[in-house]
Amino acid sequence: MTKTVAMEKMLNKADLAAWMGKLDSHRLFSPALEDEDVWNYMPVEEAAKVLLNHPNTVRPPKGFVFPQREVLYEYSQVPGEAPVLNETLPDPAPAVVFGVRPCDSRGLVRQDIVFTKEYEDPYYQGRRAKVIYVGQACNQPPSPNCFCMSVGGSPCAEDGLDVLMTELDGKYHVKALTPRGSELLAKGGELFKDAQAADKAAVEKAHASAKAHPQRPIKDLGKVAGALKANFDSPAWDEMAKACIGCGICTFLCPTCHCFDISDEVKCSSPCKGERVRTWDSCQFPDFTMHTSGHNPRETLGSRLRQRVCHKFLYFVENHDTQQCTGCGRCVSLCPVGIDIVSVVERLGQP
Amino acid sequence: MSQNAYLPKLGRIAAIKEEVAGARAIKTFRIEFVNGDGFEHDCGQCAMISVFGKGESMISIASAPHVKDYKQFSIMRTGRVTTALHDLNVGDVVGVRGPYGNKFPVKDWKGKNLIFIGGGCGLAPIWPVVQTAVNERRQFGNITVFYGGRSSRDIMYRNELEKLKGDVDVHLSIDAQEEGWDGYCGFVPANVMTKAPKADNAIAITCGPPIMIKYVIQNLKELGFEDDMIYTTIENKMKCGIGKCGRCNVGKDYVCVNGPVYSWAALKDLPQEY
Repeated sequence: MTKTVAMEKMLNKADLAAWMGKLDSHRLFSPALEDEDVWNYMPVEEAAKVLLNHPNTVRPPKGFVFPQREVLYEYSQVPGEAPVLNETLPDPAPAVVFGVRPCDSRGLVRQDIVFTKEYEDPYYQGRRAKVIYVGQACNQPPSPNCFCMSVGGSPCAEDGLDVLMTELDGKYHVKALTPRGSELLAKGGELFKDAQAADKAAVEKAHASAKAHPQRPIKDLGKVAGALKANFDSPAWDEMAKACIGCGICTFLCPTCHCFDISDEVKCSSPCKGERVRTWDSCQFPDFTMHTSGHNPRETLGSRLRQRVCHKFLYFVENHDTQQCTGCGRCVSLCPVGIDIVSVVERLGQP
Repeated sequence: MSQNAYLPKLGRIAAIKEEVAGARAIKTFRIEFVNGDGFEHDCGQCAMISVFGKGESMISIASAPHVKDYKQFSIMRTGRVTTALHDLNVGDVVGVRGPYGNKFPVKDWKGKNLIFIGGGCGLAPIWPVVQTAVNERRQFGNITVFYGGRSSRDIMYRNELEKLKGDVDVHLSIDAQEEGWDGYCGFVPANVMTKAPKADNAIAITCGPPIMIKYVIQNLKELGFEDDMIYTTIENKMKCGIGKCGRCNVGKDYVCVNGPVYSWAALKDLPQEY
């Protein structure tokens, strides 16, 4: 493979809408204020209103490729006859998602691992091929609970992105990272000017300053997996999980959590007609692991908190040599009872 | 040909045998793939069986890999899907996808004595190994089957076990004495101890209720079996079968991919979350 030099361009902030206007072959999404203090990805209706001045969204962008509910296939069966199955593989129109924070794009890379290892997942792949991610470096940490740097990321990480934008004074530094990203910039034509040495120096400075912001630290990341293993039977799991109400928010809003349920939604009982669907599920729910017999391998809150933390900081590391947490801080900020994964790792994941 | 792992193939129920009646009813379903669109499997592997409108259940394949015309599944009526399966008739069509999971390393066991220890419906997952060993009888040393049910009515594969005699030493047990029962009375682990199979050049393969497995392993250790001479299968709730839905995750393993077959040497390193 020939290594292509990343394309670095400059775009006036005022020209963002014009660029978006040239991307009408794609569906466009960007973070927008959905409710008071609630930012989420929404379809771009008026490009001029897109400001890209958002903190992080409440929901991560994983739903574009792994929707909360997805029909796997439709079935119909007349009694006594063979069922007829209608495969419903997704074939979405191409989309561009703007404003993706680097923690979330790193989350996407982890989703890619899960959905392509051993068996490919055609539903995930079908959507993934159609979504282009335009990231936005975090010049300021979007949340006091950010800890991307503590889990090997950075506010200007490029993993999983097709384009990385960095806001500079009145301009965006726009870096194409993949061929898809380069094509997207090419569509902007004259709107983009080549980044000059001074621009490159400015963006480096902005990134260095972004990285200098203090974040919640995890002292010795390399030793966390081993320490969690050693502390597997610690009574502290139960203690730290005591307040948990099992709402599952920590997993639903996590950019890396991928667990799902598969169930039949019946539309008509005779003839039997319906859809086999998959929906997000959570290891924090007691029936997630409950056997039909009633036996439940993880029946306590503590064992379920341990599963969430160990899956991210121990098992995923054992299997894929990287953490399955990208430090977005959502599970910390949005937990209704204040369970804090960084505190848990500090307490049980340090030698 | 679709590469969609979630889409089942269709299988017609060719025969249904009632193994055990009553509250813990077990039926054996012989399923033939429709239009020859099937798959091959190894000993120990499982398949996801669909009853459309109800859902899917992961069931171990109870027939041996050398049987190509059909697959058998022995299923206890327990939940929504298995109850729906029990209500089906010969000729009905279900969905089958798989095969899933690892396998018993039967090839490595040639020349060895095989000791099978099963309880309840736990005979089904190890049954393909029994069938394979009998099919290639001269390749293996002594073959012994210990199997027990709560009562004589809970003994599955009754006729098949009877037919094994001659090729295989069969030791049946029931929990409490019944009139006319000439086998052992008591629990399976105790029955094993009465015969005290030798650990030399042997492999023990056990499956049954967790409490049985616990004491079987304890007893086997006492008889001198090393951890890597003891094999069992574990089960966990499963939805996808391909290591993605997260349900069956135990430690770094997904039981649907890395299991269900474990040597005790491997299993004792996993968290006990199964």
